Amino acid sequence: MTSTKSPNPKAVKEFLSEAQEFVEALSNVLMDIDSNLRDDDEVDPDLINEAFRCWHTLKGLSSTFGAESLAQFAHREETLLDEIRLGRTPLDASTLDALLSSIDVIVAALNQISETGDISDVDVASLVSRPPMEPQAAPTDVAVEIDPRKLVSHDIMEVLTEFEEHRLVTNIERGRPLYKVRASFSLMSIDTELEAIKTTLKPLGEIITYLPCDESDDIEKLDIEVLLALKKDYSELEQAVVEYNARIELVVDSEENRPVATPAKSIPTGRAEESVAAGITPEASGVSVEMLSPVVSNDSIIADVTRDKSLSLRSVSQTVRVDISKLDRLMNSVGELGLVRSSIGRVSDELRTVGGRRDLAIELHRIIRGFERRLAEIREGILEVRMVPVGQMFDRLARVIRKVSRNLGKEIQFIVSGADTEVDKLIIEELSDPLMHIIRNAIDHGVEMPKDRTMMGKPESGTVALTAYQKGNHVMIEVEDDGAGIDGDRIVAAAIRNGAITEEQAAVLSQRDMINLIFLPGISTAKEATEISGRGVGMDVVKTNISALGGLVEVQSELGIGTKFTITMPVTLAITPALLVEVDRAVYAVPLNTVAEAIMLKEKDMFQVMNTETMTLRGQTLPLCRLDTFFNIFREGPPRPNSRVVVASLGQRRVGLVVDALVGQQDVIIKPLGHSMAQAGCFTGVTDIGDQKLALVLDTVAVIEEFFATPDDSNQYTG
Amino acid sequence: MTTDSIVVTTSELTSLQPLSTDEPTIGFLCFMLGKEEFGVDLNLVSQIVTPPPVTRVPRTRSYFMGVVSIRGGVATLVDFRQLLGLDPAKIDRSSRILLYHTPDEQFGLLVDKVTLVRRVPASNFEENPVLEENPVTEKVVGVVRPDKTTQITIIDLEEIMHEALR
Repeated sequence: MTSTKSPNPKAVKEFLSEAQEFVEALSNVLMDIDSNLRDDDEVDPDLINEAFRCWHTLKGLSSTFGAESLAQFAHREETLLDEIRLGRTPLDASTLDALLSSIDVIVAALNQISETGDISDVDVASLVSRPPMEPQAAPTDVAVEIDPRKLVSHDIMEVLTEFEEHRLVTNIERGRPLYKVRASFSLMSIDTELEAIKTTLKPLGEIITYLPCDESDDIEKLDIEVLLALKKDYSELEQAVVEYNARIELVVDSEENRPVATPAKSIPTGRAEESVAAGITPEASGVSVEMLSPVVSNDSIIADVTRDKSLSLRSVSQTVRVDISKLDRLMNSVGELGLVRSSIGRVSDELRTVGGRRDLAIELHRIIRGFERRLAEIREGILEVRMVPVGQMFDRLARVIRKVSRNLGKEIQFIVSGADTEVDKLIIEELSDPLMHIIRNAIDHGVEMPKDRTMMGKPESGTVALTAYQKGNHVMIEVEDDGAGIDGDRIVAAAIRNGAITEEQAAVLSQRDMINLIFLPGISTAKEATEISGRGVGMDVVKTNISALGGLVEVQSELGIGTKFTITMPVTLAITPALLVEVDRAVYAVPLNTVAEAIMLKEKDMFQVMNTETMTLRGQTLPLCRLDTFFNIFREGPPRPNSRVVVASLGQRRVGLVVDALVGQQDVIIKPLGHSMAQAGCFTGVTDIGDQKLALVLDTVAVIEEFFATPDDSNQYTG
Repeated sequence: MTTDSIVVTTSELTSLQPLSTDEPTIGFLCFMLGKEEFGVDLNLVSQIVTPPPVTRVPRTRSYFMGVVSIRGGVATLVDFRQLLGLDPAKIDRSSRILLYHTPDEQFGLLVDKVTLVRRVPASNFEENPVLEENPVTEKVVGVVRPDKTTQITIIDLEEIMHEALR
């Protein structure tokens, strides 16, 4: 890709957002290095690598987008970090200062780009205050130079990169013994197994490199050797690798700093004796260090990837973009797993009453409890993934404010706080329109023209403050302006004109309630509708939208001083797709994850079993539960025609819920019922279905369980 | 959207009745149930709203009429008439809901009509009067006679709700 002379704004934005990620990642890494240094710890070489990669990526990014001077600067830093990681330049506090100051340079450069909108124009050199750090020789605090070639066999040294060699020497200098850990992996699962063994070994020492060997007989398997500088006890290493069936060989002993005599200490671990099947051939187990085969450099993807990792153009960002509907699907599956759990639970309960293998029943019960806990963790995990900082939305709003205020010739100072407050992604999406509306109103109707403000003794530029913070299980978002405030009398006049309230009603309204009338439909005090706001549609929609999400919007206003909107939202939403049904003119929501199908109730398929009504569905008997009877609603007259049967299933149990009609399908947000209403025992909550109407959400599980729990002769609620 | 915003905050109502004496006064929110006028401690009621559509909740006690949506929140609607042992309420144009909160639930108390807030001198409040036996009597904490022709029965809202939720 070549540099573009006049990059389009979208490209600039893209560049800035990627570069921003890089800056954040880099400063995190440097802060970690800093804490390593402070603790007088050895700096984790991975951190230095990470910093190196950050600069490398920025270099690539910059030249892609045509920011040549930025790319040059990144190259300079990259070189410095390369020197550091190879041990040629010592990493101390002053070097770290230099590294940190480079972040400031980049931030300044990015700001400049963001202001000018021109990537190629930025002159990084002018922003740099420190001279380039010259590579300097590392102090030779170790008296005797160690020549690794005398200690480690040629086969190994040959395949090490310069960096790996440096790490090898460093570790030998520090008196750490070097081991080869050799394990055999199935080609099918090598990536995950290799990660697993790396994770196991990492706490024990430093992994210098890992190399594949080609001597396994089994073509389905690949042997990998991990070269490890051990920091912990040998026994720990021995224990850790048991599960991998790995073989350990000493390469360089800590005491003597010299190569070990052949044959190497070959320690078969754990089940290694019987592990021929796992790919370790009898010959191999006795092989000396010298006889180990060289690396298959060309065929081996793994080796290439490993060594080229530092040069990869891998994105710095560790984030993944996910379509929210995928998370919803995942959440649904979790819901279904919950149903599976309750079926297993029931079987387990029955098993315990049977007698005989009571021990097994108890064991099963214990397993189910564990399953339950994991399930809850998954559910929480998914909810957590859905959380995003409100800052994303605030940035978009900031652009609107800039545009609107410019169009109106008003000066607005936009103050944002709490941008890192996290809210469910869906709430953010649903909230941005209402918020935009409120902010537009604030600028259009609230903040006065500069000359009017000066006359009133207010600062010429108005202020719109957007604040977010968490309060318990809720997120509060406030929009506050220092404009003219809402004139309660004018709102009341408009409401009376509009027929929304009567004059008598108006007479008893408090100031606060007058202002709250702006949430009624069709109320506008604007003398003429402007392009931006003031047609009298809006605030009622704002309120309806926020209510539908289980939120609350309130307004406070003082004439001449300003207006403040406060939105209270739940942090997460409990959203469930549901089937809306009608029973005795009332609408109920049945969560879809418990509904198998919905069919017509046909007289000819129905028959009595004991005292229970049932119907035949595809040759199987389906017990019927008339919801009106279940709800204790007694209706006169013959059975209603055109009744529907909603087949609800809980594990193996199925019940046909008889309803008057199907209304439709809808994603519903469940709001909890108060304690006194929860005693009904068959509803999980209520949901808004529009027009201020609520629908009860059926607790299908409770209904089914109660239905089956009741004796056969009265399959209905009798309490 | 119907007009749940015809809301009167009780703090605002308080100021409607100017104080005429220096004597300490007690504020009561007064309302009609049938032909009789009742009052409750003004401080316990946070708002008065016109009734939104009611959603019945099956399998709950008869004096619970169901749930209503009040400004995006959910309130449990209580038929105040039934709570006092009178016959069930019918919602009409003059019906109002008094909002009352317990720490864990929001309640709406349905009354036939809100009359007004009365501030009466403490001496006008007659505690535990002797009344003729009727279902209401035992929940009465006192009577107030603001003038010679009117008698308002004051009920202990907290006690009566406590009992209703037991």
